[in-house]
Amino acid sequence: MKANSALPLTAIVVCAVAVPSLFVLLAGKNPVDTWFLLLSYTLGTRAGFAEVVVHAIPLIFIGLGVCIAFRAGIFNIGGDGQLICGAVVAVGAAPYLAGMGQAGLPAFLLLGFLGGAALGALVGWLRARFGSNEIIVTIMMNYVALQLLAWVIRGPLQEPTHIFPRSYRIAGDLQLQLLFEGTRIHAGLLIAALMVVFVYVLLLRANLGFKLQTFGQSPGAASYAGIGATSVTVGSMLLSGGFAGLAGAVEVSGLYQKLEDNFADGFGLAAIAVALMARLNPLLLPLPALLFGIFYVGSGALQRELGVPFPIVWIVEAVVILAFLASGAVKAAPVGVKGS
Amino acid sequence: MDYVVLTGLLAAAVRLAMSIGIAAMGEVISQRAGVLNVGVEGIMLLGAFLGAFGAVTTGNPWAGIALAAAGGAAAGALHGFFAVKLKVDQIVSGIALIILCLGLSSFLYRLTLGKTPQSVPALRGLHLGVLSDLPIVGPVLFGQNALVYWGVAMALFLTWALRRTVMGLNIRACGENPAAADAAGINVDRYRFFCVVFGGTLAGVGGAYLSVAQINSFVENMVVGRGFIAIACVVFGRWNPLGTLAAAFGFGLAEAAQIRLQTWYPEVPYQLFVVLPYLLAIVALSLFFARGAALPRGLAKPYFSDRGA
Repeated sequence: MKANSALPLTAIVVCAVAVPSLFVLLAGKNPVDTWFLLLSYTLGTRAGFAEVVVHAIPLIFIGLGVCIAFRAGIFNIGGDGQLICGAVVAVGAAPYLAGMGQAGLPAFLLLGFLGGAALGALVGWLRARFGSNEIIVTIMMNYVALQLLAWVIRGPLQEPTHIFPRSYRIAGDLQLQLLFEGTRIHAGLLIAALMVVFVYVLLLRANLGFKLQTFGQSPGAASYAGIGATSVTVGSMLLSGGFAGLAGAVEVSGLYQKLEDNFADGFGLAAIAVALMARLNPLLLPLPALLFGIFYVGSGALQRELGVPFPIVWIVEAVVILAFLASGAVKAAPVGVKGS
Repeated sequence: MDYVVLTGLLAAAVRLAMSIGIAAMGEVISQRAGVLNVGVEGIMLLGAFLGAFGAVTTGNPWAGIALAAAGGAAAGALHGFFAVKLKVDQIVSGIALIILCLGLSSFLYRLTLGKTPQSVPALRGLHLGVLSDLPIVGPVLFGQNALVYWGVAMALFLTWALRRTVMGLNIRACGENPAAADAAGINVDRYRFFCVVFGGTLAGVGGAYLSVAQINSFVENMVVGRGFIAIACVVFGRWNPLGTLAAAFGFGLAEAAQIRLQTWYPEVPYQLFVVLPYLLAIVALSLFFARGAALPRGLAKPYFSDRGA
């Protein structure tokens, strides 16, 4: 495909800064102060930067999953639902894992992975078997998962007093350790780093990556080479959903210790942008993940300190994605809508 | 089932179907021209806010609908600029649009209506004389609000226009075989851009329907998947405006039924009923897409003209 550098880079950068600034003006605040606060809080303070890292962790996990599916030409925008599914499975099993000592935590995380993987594999199977468009199916699954969460925290997994809409707390030995005193950065960061390297090897140094790439670019050529459409579609969605499920288990284990309505909300769409900005390269993934962490945590600071409404975060995120698209820097992915 | 319940169910189904149906018709036009807009969900959300905002500030729901149409057109133009002019990946541009409209609607809501919650002036059901008093068909077909009839008229008009007019033929050519259309002297990119803007306009109106004719208030993120259900309806409706509206009625019926089931079976967790329309979309998509021959062949593929532009 032709490169699309239709717009000059300076124009793109100016737009990316100017558009959110316009909305800050609309809110009656000074854009210069706003940008300064956003950057100085997130990059200039220990507390702010720590929160940026905390926010980047699930984005990295889900982003890895998006990379895997994307390389096979599949748009997994169901990260939020798979995250919830993984977290629900892990928390549901938590009471049985509490007595397992050292093995409990790895089992908890593995169950999170499997919970997300099951949902992802189902989507992959529906696409392989019936040609169901995965974009719509994953989004529908997100809403189903939200209702599943709403039900379990008022039903089977509700806290012991049965008053509040939240789950019981998981045992202490199922919780990821804090890495730095006075911050919320937990050992999930190390797992994320490990998984980045693992997926990099998987995608760029192993046979699997070649299979996904071939299938993503030309399903016909892939079948000629003996790469089965069903196994690639189901397999890549299984892994993709698995990483989102792992994100859910890590969020519960490292941050929340319990399930609540809207916990770890809204990572799914952001993770797609993160994966595309990393050009589907796992090693680059942490950079855009941190960038989106800066936007998220920075917008929280803007709301607290200046009273700029928090949803400015989505305006900033969207403008950055569009700017990347306009610059031609986002790798064009294979078209996801196919009659197959 | 006694006929009072049936009447209520069907009347509600029509009422609940139209926001999805109107947005889905716009998406039909966009897709027939070859442009996939997965940002419908976002545009509906923006339309829902603008509809409520316009209705509250002027006191007239139609002003809100007009404002939402304008906002939807602008959002469609943005997608058109990226998808048609810059020829970027249409799905990614659509996802960016969802995030943008989520931000715009929530941000502007908190600056305006969110500060002092006010009731939204709503469209009321019409009373069409003796017709509205007929049993069953009266409330179901002749007691709806004006936007419902506007939507049905639009579906009839679009179905006719796609099939019987030169413009409709050209639109279909742009989606089916852009190279042939180009060779025949059709400006593919201009047609596509126009159709995306039109699709955005209807998505805006569909969103406004939610806030001024269905729920009668604005709540952040209130579209909850209806935009994607609209895209699914395009598939079920075989890329035909009337068929799409019929598919939307199916979802209206599912929504109306699940709300009633919640009250009939209070001992069953209500979440089980809330998910029914979403599960219906997944099941229907799996059954219908296997026979997907109506898919425009040029859908979601940017067209690069060989002629010097």
